[in-house]
Amino acid sequence: MCGGSGAFTKRRIHHLLPLQLPKDSRGLILSQFLVAVGFGLATASVVALAAVAVSLQVSVTNFINFAYGDFMTFGAYIAWSATRHGINLVLAIILGGIATGLLGVLANILVFRPFMRQGVRPVTLLIAGVGLSFVVQNALTLIWGAEPVRFNVTLGNSLHVGPFILTPGDLAMFATSVVLLVMLHLMLAYTKFGKALRATSNNADLAKACGIDSERVVSITWFLAGLLTAVAGVGLVLQESTLDPTTGFTELFVIFGAVILGGIGRPYGAMLGALAIGLLTEISGAYLNAAYKTSIAFGVVIVLLLFRPQGLFATKGKIS
Amino acid sequence: MVYYVTDLLLLGCINSIMVVGLNLQYGYTGLLNFAYYTYVAIGAYVAAVTTMGRTAMLGGGTYILGWTLPWYVGLLIGGVVAAILGAVVFGFTVRRLRSDYLAIVTVSAAFIFWNIINTYEPLFNGATGLYNVPNIISTSTARYTLVMLALSAGILAVCVWASRRIFRSPFGRLLRSMREDEAVTSAFGRTSWQPQLWIFMIGCFIAGIAGGLFVFSITAWSPYAFLPLESFILLAALIVGGAGNYWGALLGAFVLIEGLAELSRFLPSFGGGADVGAIRAIVIGVVLILMLRYRRGGLIPERWLHWYGQPTKQVLPKARFAAVRRAR
Amino acid sequence: MSSDTSDDLLTIRDVGYAYGGVWAVKGCSFSVRRGEVTGLIGPNGAGKSTMIEMLSGTLSPREGKIYFEGADITGLGPAQVSRKGIARTFQTARVLATLPVIENVILAAQDQIGENPLKALFSRGSWRSQEEDLRKEASSLLDWLGLGHHLLSPAGTLSGGQRRLMEIARALMAHPKLMLLDEPTAGVFPETSQLIASRIREIAAQGVTVLLIAHNMGFLSTVADDVVVMAEGRVLTRGPLEIVREHADVVSAYLGTAAVGSPDSGPTTARERASE
Repeated sequence: MCGGSGAFTKRRIHHLLPLQLPKDSRGLILSQFLVAVGFGLATASVVALAAVAVSLQVSVTNFINFAYGDFMTFGAYIAWSATRHGINLVLAIILGGIATGLLGVLANILVFRPFMRQGVRPVTLLIAGVGLSFVVQNALTLIWGAEPVRFNVTLGNSLHVGPFILTPGDLAMFATSVVLLVMLHLMLAYTKFGKALRATSNNADLAKACGIDSERVVSITWFLAGLLTAVAGVGLVLQESTLDPTTGFTELFVIFGAVILGGIGRPYGAMLGALAIGLLTEISGAYLNAAYKTSIAFGVVIVLLLFRPQGLFATKGKIS
Repeated sequence: MVYYVTDLLLLGCINSIMVVGLNLQYGYTGLLNFAYYTYVAIGAYVAAVTTMGRTAMLGGGTYILGWTLPWYVGLLIGGVVAAILGAVVFGFTVRRLRSDYLAIVTVSAAFIFWNIINTYEPLFNGATGLYNVPNIISTSTARYTLVMLALSAGILAVCVWASRRIFRSPFGRLLRSMREDEAVTSAFGRTSWQPQLWIFMIGCFIAGIAGGLFVFSITAWSPYAFLPLESFILLAALIVGGAGNYWGALLGAFVLIEGLAELSRFLPSFGGGADVGAIRAIVIGVVLILMLRYRRGGLIPERWLHWYGQPTKQVLPKARFAAVRRAR
Repeated sequence: MSSDTSDDLLTIRDVGYAYGGVWAVKGCSFSVRRGEVTGLIGPNGAGKSTMIEMLSGTLSPREGKIYFEGADITGLGPAQVSRKGIARTFQTARVLATLPVIENVILAAQDQIGENPLKALFSRGSWRSQEEDLRKEASSLLDWLGLGHHLLSPAGTLSGGQRRLMEIARALMAHPKLMLLDEPTAGVFPETSQLIASRIREIAAQGVTVLLIAHNMGFLSTVADDVVVMAEGRVLTRGPLEIVREHADVVSAYLGTAAVGSPDSGPTTARERASE
């Protein structure tokens, strides 16, 4: 009776004990703050990848897919099983990425595209996305069980990088994220496909009239989005060290927060949005009960959608 | 065996009450409410804390109120509180947002609500929840299920009656037209938000009552009983059964929620209780997508012709799609 | 808050509306006399539809005033405007596709007791007879407009011409004092167009004032008492159609497309003339 998947809540247990520093000087309060900023950056790098993925997909298809969180979980699980079979971490992540990209393409072909061809109302696509989310999340539960699994890769102890306290994992994730985003930017700005994507996102009909095969653009975008989401998923899981079928879904709204902050359908905005949300949740989480951190992200989402749905950086046009 | 059947029926009745309430909001009026179960939870908690007093839970436990009102008062208060909260939420959100944003906002709100209740103990005893809620009448356990079943069936009948009345009335007609095209409705002198608010509150009231019935049946309630996911399942049940039609609502509740839950009990287990729930959710997801694609009206689609005195005739699917395409 | 003669039902004074920076209507003034059928004509882009949107309350004028029956209705929303007694049809017929035709029409009737949720639930007696009357009225209206066999069909199954007829029935159901018809015969068969014209004349004979946008001169000549010509957002001139047609400014406003009023100015005109 009470739902098909396990625990919904997730205590964000950081690999470092939060802030049990002696409380005297202002200097220490500042360092507390900066440490939180560091965590914020680490979170932001993960969220950014997923947020950019969502924004890309929304920019060409014009609807929000509710199953992305579960795509993330899927990618993380694939990577995790790969590592359990002895495959090296980097390769496992790539594998997870490709698998999730294919999942995205499949979802488009089987679920979303037929609906879009029919010309349905946005609500229907939304609910279809929810249905898809049920299916993916619970398929994962069937295959790998509802119990959380440990997915952790220790690459050495936490380092003090300037005022921040980060693990090498965080740094690696941050670096990966930056690299991927730069590659994405280069692709969008300079390759033929990137131009086709921008054209389609701006005005699909016009793009078609100019000879761009928008179906293909859409398919490839789904693949890319899936890929990025998977990497983000792995990054997220490595930060938390545990993985269960609901991991991605819970993150989904944080990701939506980033997407909305940056302006829906604007990948560059999404990067900034991720930064903002990452910092916001971590910093406020440092001062309030950690269990409320996700609620804060959700709260941001609500406030934004109510009062400024176009995001913080509203100008005309999508991908600038 | 008899107990098994009555348990099943009781669950089915309560689920049906919820889906019928949701139907008023989404089926009749097109208001998307992804947080319906939250109102159920409010009704449950309020009914509990207004009737269980302070001594019920032996291990202690913190929660607000702790009155000892009679059960029917507690039940009603639960419904009313849910309706009031619904009005507040409506005021803030439903009027301003398009459907996908509304979905995100309502789910987020549901999650925040869940998170706060789960973490902030003084409200409703946090993650442990409330238990030992008093029975509405003292009798043997076996008889009690029958009593609750009778009560729930009675309340369900009232809800169905109300649905029917609303549907076959100018009020229902107004709701339908607002659902289809608000611009036209306002071009003929109707302001939308009042009727919408009314129906939203009625739907939330029903949710609250269902919650109260739940809590008196199970005599316990905790955050694990109302994961935000449950709202999706209700919506799926409604859509599959047939949004806009209370028979569809009943069908959806019994078949999708009940039937699947019980059916999967008879399937060979893959090991572990979670699998049963998982299979059920997968089936719901797949059926939902298929239904949306091929039979958008649901298993029992909306039928308005009865009211105008003709044998029922299904809406021609082409007409519906064509109109939607044109409207875009 | 003054109006001119009590003969004028609707007065528009110096009204203007801009989309972004572009003025679709500016400094437009005219009035509509009670009980007449007034045509609103002009080339594309003249601002006619924008004018109708402002009159029906969907858009608020940026400048100027609109008076209806002497009262200032500038800036009121569509619901309020319609409650004052103004009903409209839409340029592309908007029907509630999945609902039956009769329901589409009854919807427009004002002051339905049964729309109050409490009355709907608990006191069926209070609205039952009103509902009966409304159904009779809607059926006879639809019959009068030639849709008597389609009462219970989903409105989405109606053809374009039938939808326009339904929209007229719907507008009438609201017992309006003023009807705003936005291209009631666009894309409609000549026979239907004739039916619409004669029905509009009958409506006017019953005392309802009509302001309509139309492009077809043949149709206008049978239906309109008077026309107002708009071009580039303002009123060019007004008067009976035959006179206005010959007006030099009007002809040049139509810019070399078939001159206003010539026998070839529209496909249906020739047929209409042939059937006279």
